Amino acid sequence: MSATVTRGRAGLRTGMTWPVLIGWGVLVAVAVVLLLAPQIFSAYDLSQILTQALWLGIAAVSVTFLYRYGGMVSLAQVAIYGIAGFAMGNVVHTINSEGGLNLGWTPWAGVAFGIAVAVIVALLFGAIASRSYGIYFLMITLALSLLVFYFFGQVTKLSGFGGIRSISRPGFIGDPITDPKPLYYTALGASVLVYVLLRYVVRTPFGIALQGIRDDPPRMRSLGYNVPLHRTLAFALGAFVASIAGILSVWFNTQISPGSINLAQTIAVLIIAVIGGLSRLEGAWLGALAYALIDYYARQHTPTLGLWLNPGRFATIIGLVFLLIVLLSPDGLIGIGHRLRDLAGRRLGTPPTSDTAAAREEQALPETAGVSTASGPSSSGGQEP
Amino acid sequence: MAVPARVTEAAEPVLRLRGIGRRFGGLRAVDGVDLELYPGDRRTILGPNGAGKTTLFNVIAGEFPPTEGTIELFGADVTQDPARHRAKLGLARTYQQSRVFDGLTVEDNIYLAALGVRTGHTFPFRSSKRDAPLRAKARAAAGDVGLIDRLQSMVSGLSHGERRQLAIGMARAMEPKLMMLDEPAAGLSRAERVTLIELLSALPSDVTLLLIEHDMDVALRVAQSVTMMHEGRIIVEGTPAEIRANKDVHELYLGSRYYDE
Repeated sequence: MSATVTRGRAGLRTGMTWPVLIGWGVLVAVAVVLLLAPQIFSAYDLSQILTQALWLGIAAVSVTFLYRYGGMVSLAQVAIYGIAGFAMGNVVHTINSEGGLNLGWTPWAGVAFGIAVAVIVALLFGAIASRSYGIYFLMITLALSLLVFYFFGQVTKLSGFGGIRSISRPGFIGDPITDPKPLYYTALGASVLVYVLLRYVVRTPFGIALQGIRDDPPRMRSLGYNVPLHRTLAFALGAFVASIAGILSVWFNTQISPGSINLAQTIAVLIIAVIGGLSRLEGAWLGALAYALIDYYARQHTPTLGLWLNPGRFATIIGLVFLLIVLLSPDGLIGIGHRLRDLAGRRLGTPPTSDTAAAREEQALPETAGVSTASGPSSSGGQEP
Repeated sequence: MAVPARVTEAAEPVLRLRGIGRRFGGLRAVDGVDLELYPGDRRTILGPNGAGKTTLFNVIAGEFPPTEGTIELFGADVTQDPARHRAKLGLARTYQQSRVFDGLTVEDNIYLAALGVRTGHTFPFRSSKRDAPLRAKARAAAGDVGLIDRLQSMVSGLSHGERRQLAIGMARAMEPKLMMLDEPAAGLSRAERVTLIELLSALPSDVTLLLIEHDMDVALRVAQSVTMMHEGRIIVEGTPAEIRANKDVHELYLGSRYYDE
């Protein structure tokens, strides 16, 4: 107790407020739990909940980034991580030679190839979609996403029959089923790197201009910016992030099939980004953790209520929780967290942060969350004249 | 005062419009407009609502191309050039609605304006060597328009008047040769209008200024010459004094349309 008080005073002397201190406290606690997770949780929980949440969070943060800083709701992120996964799966060594090209490259060459292919395809996709805004952008990315899904569904030379199995991993990862620790730490490290990268990029000239384009694309044009090019490059950066998730998902599942990049998964990643909260990048991982937990427990513990509900209908529970979170907090779980922090800050006597850097981050949503209002930046309809 | 003295009458015009027309379906929003501006000109476009003033602005700035005619900026034909090229040539504009970036700070808004006319839009690294001059420019422009205390404020929290000031600050940070302001005084209080007039009067004398303004006080005090538009056409051009004395202007603005009939 006395330690807290001392820290509080020290903080106040340097102009820190309780909400900021609580934020740091939460950060430190989360970091400790994440680092010690293999000692705290069972191997099964570590793998099925935490590792899964980490790679899903990377996929979702690409959605959050494009929306939060670029005003784009992309439904193509899962397709793009699928491209990375399939590209890698085809070129590296696979034990079962029926699936994919099985060129026998080393795992790391496969990673580089997978990411490169995904980013190049994303540049093309981005160039197609970059002149559209709001619901039109969303529909184009949805169409591209389905295109990729059906491509891999039908071109079995590249996707194998029912997927590519036993895709080889870098040696240090070993077998994630017998020992999930190396893959967990890999996913954790990748998450941290992705988070730091995106936080860095949004304060560069590229990132600030992207936020200007989010707020008013025609205005940015009249200031001298090449808006479609900028949005295409942002889309490619989102694809780079998503492709990392694709690589991790292949290592996690040891395989990839067209079914793992279907519409259901596309929607799942969008749901993760929204329930986590689109106002901050961290929300993606929070949403992914919630999704992994709900998925895990709903499958086991969904009660039977006549015809309405039974364990086979775990998706109903996910849907209800999604609805509940979105209705209670349009800002997702991260919004609930911030309100709790500010509430605690008020109870502790100092006013919550306002009009400062921390508050700035939270206020700066392009529009209120939600697909129906996501027509955001375009006031002039779907296409640029 | 006669027609304002043009020191550089022989110089190349900053802006030359020849036979500009713009149709929207059956509507001729702008019809056969010829206009020339020379370095340092201060011109106001007057006209009732629907006269085609903003459409003319949009055509000049490259928001959409004209359906007829040619546009020359600084001696180059830019009729088919995109808006961003015109910005780089030295054209800055503001809008009736301030059109500032709500999700960024005041400083970032002006920074983007200063960066826009330079290269390195997609530079993905933070470099104080590259950014320091632009940041300094942004702070200076913020100071010029009286926003120095709001540098780190989010634009979404600014008042209407402050947004107007910011819009002009952004135009200044582009260091344009031609500045086009669309109703800069709209919605401003009396005191804010005085500030605005001071601000516009203090622009460097080589900056050419084209204004759309309904407020006669602002329009006639800042401008050396006035162009009157009506139903897409230019009907009168002259000095503020001539415009004040013109019968057509009175009819259009004062509603004495039937006076002579």
